Amino acid sequence: MSKKPTAGPALHKVIMVGSGGVGKSALTLQFMYDEFVEDYEPTKADSYRKKVVLDGEEVQIDILDTAGQEDYAAIRDNYFRSGEGFLCVFSITDDESFQATQEFREQILRVKNDESIPFLLVGNKCDLNDKRKVPLNECQLRAQQWSVPYVETSAKTRENVDKVFFDLMREIRSRKTEDSKATSGRAKDRCKKRRLKCTLL
Amino acid sequence: MDFDSPEEKEFPGLYASESTSKKSKEESDYSDGEHDKHSKKDSLLIGRRKDKKDKGKDRGYAALEGESSPEEELDTKSPSKSKKSKTFKFTSSKSKEKREKSRDKEKTDKELKQVEEEPQKDKDKAHEEKEHKKKDKERKEKDKKSEKKEKDKKEKKSKQAHQDDVSAEEALALGYPVFGVSVSLATERSRCHDGIDLPLVVRDCIDYLQEHCLKCEQIYKVEPIKTRLMHYKRLYNNREYDAEVDELNLPTACSLLKLFLRELPEPPLTTDLMARFEEVASHPEVTKQQEELQQLLEQLPKCNRTLLAWVLLHFDAVIQQERHNKLNAQSLAMLLSSTLQMSHRLMVALLCHCNQLFPDVKLIKYVPPLTSSSPKLPEKPDDIQTELRKQDSLLSQIHSEMNAGFITKKREEQLWEVQRIITQLKRKLKSFEKKQEKSIEELESTAIATTSPTAATLTTVPAPVPVATISEDTTDSKPPTNNKKKSIDLSAGVSVDEVSTTSVESRPQIDSPVAVPEFIIDKISGYVLLPKTNPHRDELLRLQIEYDELIAWQNELKARILSERNEVFRLKQLYDQKLQRQQATMAPVPQPTELPADGDYERVIEHYTRENALLEHKKQMLGMELKEEKRACIALQVELRMQQFQM
Ligand SMILES: Nc1nc2c(ncn2[C@@H]2O[C@H](COP(=O)(O)OP(=O)(O)O)[C@@H](O)[C@H]2O)c(=O)[nH]1
Ligand SMILES: [Mg+2]
Repeated sequence: MSKKPTAGPALHKVIMVGSGGVGKSALTLQFMYDEFVEDYEPTKADSYRKKVVLDGEEVQIDILDTAGQEDYAAIRDNYFRSGEGFLCVFSITDDESFQATQEFREQILRVKNDESIPFLLVGNKCDLNDKRKVPLNECQLRAQQWSVPYVETSAKTRENVDKVFFDLMREIRSRKTEDSKATSGRAKDRCKKRRLKCTLL
Repeated sequence: MDFDSPEEKEFPGLYASESTSKKSKEESDYSDGEHDKHSKKDSLLIGRRKDKKDKGKDRGYAALEGESSPEEELDTKSPSKSKKSKTFKFTSSKSKEKREKSRDKEKTDKELKQVEEEPQKDKDKAHEEKEHKKKDKERKEKDKKSEKKEKDKKEKKSKQAHQDDVSAEEALALGYPVFGVSVSLATERSRCHDGIDLPLVVRDCIDYLQEHCLKCEQIYKVEPIKTRLMHYKRLYNNREYDAEVDELNLPTACSLLKLFLRELPEPPLTTDLMARFEEVASHPEVTKQQEELQQLLEQLPKCNRTLLAWVLLHFDAVIQQERHNKLNAQSLAMLLSSTLQMSHRLMVALLCHCNQLFPDVKLIKYVPPLTSSSPKLPEKPDDIQTELRKQDSLLSQIHSEMNAGFITKKREEQLWEVQRIITQLKRKLKSFEKKQEKSIEELESTAIATTSPTAATLTTVPAPVPVATISEDTTDSKPPTNNKKKSIDLSAGVSVDEVSTTSVESRPQIDSPVAVPEFIIDKISGYVLLPKTNPHRDELLRLQIEYDELIAWQNELKARILSERNEVFRLKQLYDQKLQRQQATMAPVPQPTELPADGDYERVIEHYTRENALLEHKKQMLGMELKEEKRACIALQVELRMQQFQM
């Protein structure tokens, strides 16, 4: 259940997913430390915590930066399970990474079993618009299909970096309040509506 | 409809580890660098977890059927978690193959199955009961017992309708106890993360007693309050022991250690070898006895040997203090031989020889991995490395236990926390490296800056002897820069013989990374190890090792350069001083009384110029040769280290 074991500021757990090299680490580091790393260093898994003020309320955000490679799937699922929101990142200069988001979405839904899990589709490297390979309308279309927001970012120029993290945190927060209301009230209805598999059945 | 497989698949690895732990890594199909540090068993568990996950979902509705509110169950963030906390099933190694084969199919079959299973809901409960009975026959006695226990729990739980998360987690932990299981399993589940394969509970008790109680007369003679003992047992079983909160005391430490040993399902000397140990103990000839005990001990599983070594060396430390605690080998054996599940005579014999039997074992106090509540992360790179290794070991254990189904909220929190500490440590290490690089650069630039004015004078003034030779010596042996990292400015270069000495020096440094064959903790080295079945395994490993070797070489060269720079700096100062002194005294330079004839002079100059050019050329050749030698050296080094990984 969504009751919190610890007192103190609310904690929102965010997970970065997406193919390798799309800028998950760059986005994370830009958000955390205002730094941009030019050289590419593959990640296995890294986790960060930061105190931020979200709409006047002090909260903590835990960010898990994962590996894009399939190799780390076993580890990744352990994190997915405990993640509360997901930033699904691809690079607008790399169509393959865009195609891969489909797989990541499915993986998340498989683990979380919840179609309305807080989730943002993020097209990164928008500073490289001249090298764009994924047309904007395609990105928007996919986001629409999934009923998730689509945001373009640049970890290099910091464009929309804060936005994606804060938007996601807002979704997580409203989801949590909704959940706690639901548990005290009509949990069943919400469940039926929410759970992917339930709707299927 | 196949009810059998989902049932069995629900908790693969829960107890399967016992039956499959001997299977080799090759059978696992995972390919995950992070997890190479797991034991073979872990890798098996991981290899299977996908099936488990998928399967768990397939039959989730069936399992929840009959419980008061399935939707409420699903309400947890992790539906699989609540399911798991309810039911405990056991897998057979037979079913494993089936699972692995069917894995690919599972994805597609899944949706279908769910639809199929749904109408069956009502019957599922009955089926489940039947299944239990059927499978009980197949299972070992031990499994059966614990399963019943779990099942009772489950039934009780379902009545409670999941009111209590905590007790649910506890029930889950009960599926993975540390007490009452084999030494290897206990070691696996209750790991010391500093590379010593001893169950944590044993380590903690011995550490405590060694530190506080050796001279106490009560040692091994008093019993704690029963509830207190059980409290600690539960803490260790649930992996909740926290040294800072729950400090042990003498009676508890003694009794907890005894309890652990007593509850081992098999004597620590193993059922197989027990008789032979006893036989040797009855040997009258003492010297021969030691030799034979030694031989038998070699045959024990490694974790059994470690356990015995620690326990016996600790007992030996106790009887060393006989003056204070009034315990000698005889009386201690009287108290504890039955705990060790051996005869009095055998225990006395082992105690008598223990220092010779375990010369390799030292009782080192355990420093557990840091937690977020720890005051500070280490500062020195070496300490950071050590801590990283511990955290990595802890992380692997958490992952592997999670993959085996041991998923609790606490564990999930711990997972993120450990990951965070690791990230911090790595960042620290990186910033340290950067700082070092920077300071090298700074030193380089200051060295250049300070030398340049005189360097200018050097070129114009041909005379000064010491500096001239140095600069000549070091100018242009080309650096072998086949590293990816930024190439080194070798303008003040490395002389040939210096490089060769460093290449020799480098070896101990290169050999040092720890790679214990059966539990490879080398995340530090960052090696991604593919499963042995993967054809790219060797290539990848070789490249990684090579990379390391080259980096190490580069670092040596850098260090050399630095010391050369310093030497240049020193000599330059020396030269300046001399120059000043000369100018101060203005002493007339002693004129050679007899100048050689002009022609002779020129010939001498010519000779030296030619000779020097030749030497220069030779040096370059040697430099290249050295490069080749070093390359061969590295190639061999790589092969050597590859072998370590093969074992
Ligand atoms: N121009 C540009 N480069 C980026 C951006 N984000 C990341 N990169 C570069 O892309 C490479 C991969 O980034 P990284 O964060 O390591 O990718 P990850 O594998 O998804 O974590 C790095 O070289 C980054 O410098 C961006 O927004 N714009
Ligand atoms: Mg990354």
